[in-house]
Amino acid sequence: MSKVDAFPGGKFDQLFVNLGPQHPSTHGVLRVGLTLEGEVITKAEPDIGYLHRGTSKLAEARGYHQCVALTDRWDYVSAMPNNLALCLAAEKLLGVEIPPRAQHLRVVMCELNRIASHLLFLGTYGIDLGAFTPFLHAFREREMILDLYEMLCGARLTYNYIRIGGVMADISPEWASKTGEFLGFFKPRMKEYDDLLSFNPIFLARTQGVGLISKEAAVDWGLSGPNLRGSGVDYDVRKSDPYSGYDRFDFSVPLGKAGSCWDRYYCRALEMRQSVRIVEAALAGLPEGDIVAKGVAKTVKPPPGEAYAHVEASRGDLGIYLVSDGGPSPYRLHVRAPSFVNLAILQEMLVGCKVADVVAILGSIDIVLGETDR
Amino acid sequence: MNIESLVADLAAKVPGVVLAADPSYVKSYPTMRLSSAAYLLPAASFLKERGFDYLEIITAVDWLGPVSPEGYTRGGRNPHPFSAPEAPALVAVKNPAAAYKPAFDMLWCLANIPARARLLLRLEIPREDPAVPSLTGLFKAADWQEREVFDLLGVRFEGHPNLKKILTPDFLQGHPLRKDYVHVKDRYDE
Amino acid sequence: MSELYPKPVFSKKAGRLLKTRLWPTERWASPWSQPQYRRSAGMLAGIIFGILLVGVVVGELSKWGDLLYRLLLTGTAWLHQTLPAYGAPAGFLGDAADITWISFKVIVIVAVINLNGLWAVWWERKLSAHMQSRLGPMYAGGFHGWAQTALDAVKLLLKEDARPADADGAVHRLAPVVVIVPAVLAFAPVLFGKELAAAKLDVGALYVLAVSGVSVIGIVMAGWASNNKFSLLGGLRSAAQVVSYEIPRIFAVVPVLMFVGSLDLAVIDQAQQGYWWGFFPRWFVFWFPAGPLAFLLFLIASLAETNRVPFDIPEAESELVAGFMTEYSGMKWALFFLAEYAYVLLACFMLSVFFLGGGAAPLPFLAIVPSWIWMLAKALAMMFLFMWLRWTLPRFRVDQLMDFNWKFLLPWSFACVGLAGIMLLWI
Repeated sequence: MSKVDAFPGGKFDQLFVNLGPQHPSTHGVLRVGLTLEGEVITKAEPDIGYLHRGTSKLAEARGYHQCVALTDRWDYVSAMPNNLALCLAAEKLLGVEIPPRAQHLRVVMCELNRIASHLLFLGTYGIDLGAFTPFLHAFREREMILDLYEMLCGARLTYNYIRIGGVMADISPEWASKTGEFLGFFKPRMKEYDDLLSFNPIFLARTQGVGLISKEAAVDWGLSGPNLRGSGVDYDVRKSDPYSGYDRFDFSVPLGKAGSCWDRYYCRALEMRQSVRIVEAALAGLPEGDIVAKGVAKTVKPPPGEAYAHVEASRGDLGIYLVSDGGPSPYRLHVRAPSFVNLAILQEMLVGCKVADVVAILGSIDIVLGETDR
Repeated sequence: MNIESLVADLAAKVPGVVLAADPSYVKSYPTMRLSSAAYLLPAASFLKERGFDYLEIITAVDWLGPVSPEGYTRGGRNPHPFSAPEAPALVAVKNPAAAYKPAFDMLWCLANIPARARLLLRLEIPREDPAVPSLTGLFKAADWQEREVFDLLGVRFEGHPNLKKILTPDFLQGHPLRKDYVHVKDRYDE
Repeated sequence: MSELYPKPVFSKKAGRLLKTRLWPTERWASPWSQPQYRRSAGMLAGIIFGILLVGVVVGELSKWGDLLYRLLLTGTAWLHQTLPAYGAPAGFLGDAADITWISFKVIVIVAVINLNGLWAVWWERKLSAHMQSRLGPMYAGGFHGWAQTALDAVKLLLKEDARPADADGAVHRLAPVVVIVPAVLAFAPVLFGKELAAAKLDVGALYVLAVSGVSVIGIVMAGWASNNKFSLLGGLRSAAQVVSYEIPRIFAVVPVLMFVGSLDLAVIDQAQQGYWWGFFPRWFVFWFPAGPLAFLLFLIASLAETNRVPFDIPEAESELVAGFMTEYSGMKWALFFLAEYAYVLLACFMLSVFFLGGGAAPLPFLAIVPSWIWMLAKALAMMFLFMWLRWTLPRFRVDQLMDFNWKFLLPWSFACVGLAGIMLLWI
């Protein structure tokens, strides 16, 4: 890099630093152009698109069932809610009724995936702040969930399990018992994470009061998921716009107070506990019956129309806007990716922070670049 | 919140806004149709005052007709001599029941978080030189979402402070989600 | 391995393989029930016992080393008296004997530093792995991957020595040398056992603290010469950090120097021999209240001096990629690494000399075990503490790090000196 670029505007008290696209803390291929004055950031420009695969475009030449496989590639650390969002939109267009057993299974899978995703967040956030050990402890548990998924549908990341009209496969009694075993193993571990990381004084010093987002700013920037709830805004799609029978389960929505990095972090830690509750209740009250709705053909041709469906994915409000012109493939597929919308606030939040806080803030927003770029 | 009374209030306040008729209705959410782009800002600011301060999505549909698979995949791939021939792409078939027209159908989704309500706004704009006013002044969430629509569909948002490409690379010509998009060969083609 | 990973069984009823992998909960339910775990524990106990046994034998033999040196000196003294008659320059043979002896000691010191690098890296990898429910290196060399770091060193030697095109060549080449040389020099007066040191310096404590501070120049040079912004930030952070933490670190030693009244490490070690009430060791860490406080301050400041977590701001892998080491590869990078571990060892030896009684046995009847074993055991225990902290704690932010030093460590180190002064009124 030439010297002119290094000092923007010819000002020698300002330094331009490229954070990424290859950087251990950007969690993928994100580039943030930082302008520094000493260690303080005066300007931040997030640059995305390195992982843009154009799934909206790809969907226009594929059948509806094939599109479900594309959704796995958005948020690859929690792919179940992605499957679910597309299926919900397609089912709205088709007007099919989903059997209760399939709905319960969808809830179980999405909540397990939320745990897996939040575990990944928890571990990588520790690494961002220099604590390496919680990462592998979190991965130990995450590995079990992935094992469960492998047992269920053969895939560990890109499940393609939730299908239009129901789910791919029923669970076996062995699977249910293993899941119960996992939950029994996992519950005491959450206190372990709190002891190891959440209430560590250094961790608190690094995250509390850092990266503050006010209630108003969070709503204004359209944040969703734990980022919004960390600022104390009570918005959870599972509660406010229930889908797939979430209104039948008893769970609470943890809210943060200050909107700092720690609040967002701890919101996720508490959400894992709620997810455990939901999974336990759903498995205990699993109704008998079919797992696929009747009348869903191999080639789906929904009548012309438009549908909007959104789910509470692990990272926030994942919305699917699906348009059908009566043909065998979607006429238009738009994805409201929570990571994409959440990331936009970075350009405002980083200004005035220290360089060392960039990783704390970026980590607490918890983006997955596959979803940001789609 | 009573959505009917809100819709009536909105129709009274901004005369160009009507509750959408059935065909353009987006499934399971109340949809309002704007008759002109000039009504967007008044309608959005009215809704914001009434608690709809969460901008959920901004998107658009190109109603030109189904896309032809020809011409938009990257060419120059060398098929392996022993591999099976590639499955033929789905042929674009025009559905006579669908209402194709040379127009973009814009969509905004606004949500009221405490009242757990959401409302969709629609607006039809011509395909040639499409432009709508930007909502960045009202909602910061519009910033990147409008840039995305601009990048992929080429709709200009007037008044947007930083309307640049966001997802596609700089050398990519055209707007990929337009139905008449044809891939222009670039340095990554053989 | 057969107990850990059962053989797959084909079930005709289920139509698939069963039990190809053990569910992790089953594996961790009771590690002691697994024969492999018991075998490893037994092996570990055997190793520790073996080291003690070898220590006793070598401790007995080490007296012969002194005898050898004395013989050498007597021999040269005799030659001195006889040789001038044959026209040899005066003092030449005495110097030759000293040079031989000093070179021998230098080789030992360098070997200690190199072996420490190999051993500590392997140990840290195994330790962190077991803390994180992994196994760490398992294959190289056969037994628990003991040869892993040796082979890594070979790999590093064979690696291409890459250098950025715009780097400042001379400074870039010189920086690792400037980092490693003080690390070796600082080991000169370090006590490896009772009176077992390469050089007997009257100002040993001062010398060690002064020389080890020189390395920061090399780090700044590395940061500057790499022509990389992350490296530059890392180098500058390191300069600020090391220079600031030097002050409380030295002040934490002052109480010890006040108690002893000497800067000679051997004298400091000697002062901590003996026991209160016949069994309680008279180590400075037990000289309440100034002793334990000074120990803690010195420990924290040493962590910061050696750039270890939670003070590893200059390297900060997740922020500055690797700080000043980003643009180094191969053996140059390995020199930085070696210097880091040499400083960790140095800090551990200093901790055990200043506060943990040096070569003194913790209980009177254990004095049959030679002093260098105790010294090494204490140093390694401290090294374990360093590693334990590293794999437990997150990292400070750079301004919090400075606040912690100037607003917490420094005032308390002053208070510690004051406390020591008050204590001296009664002692």
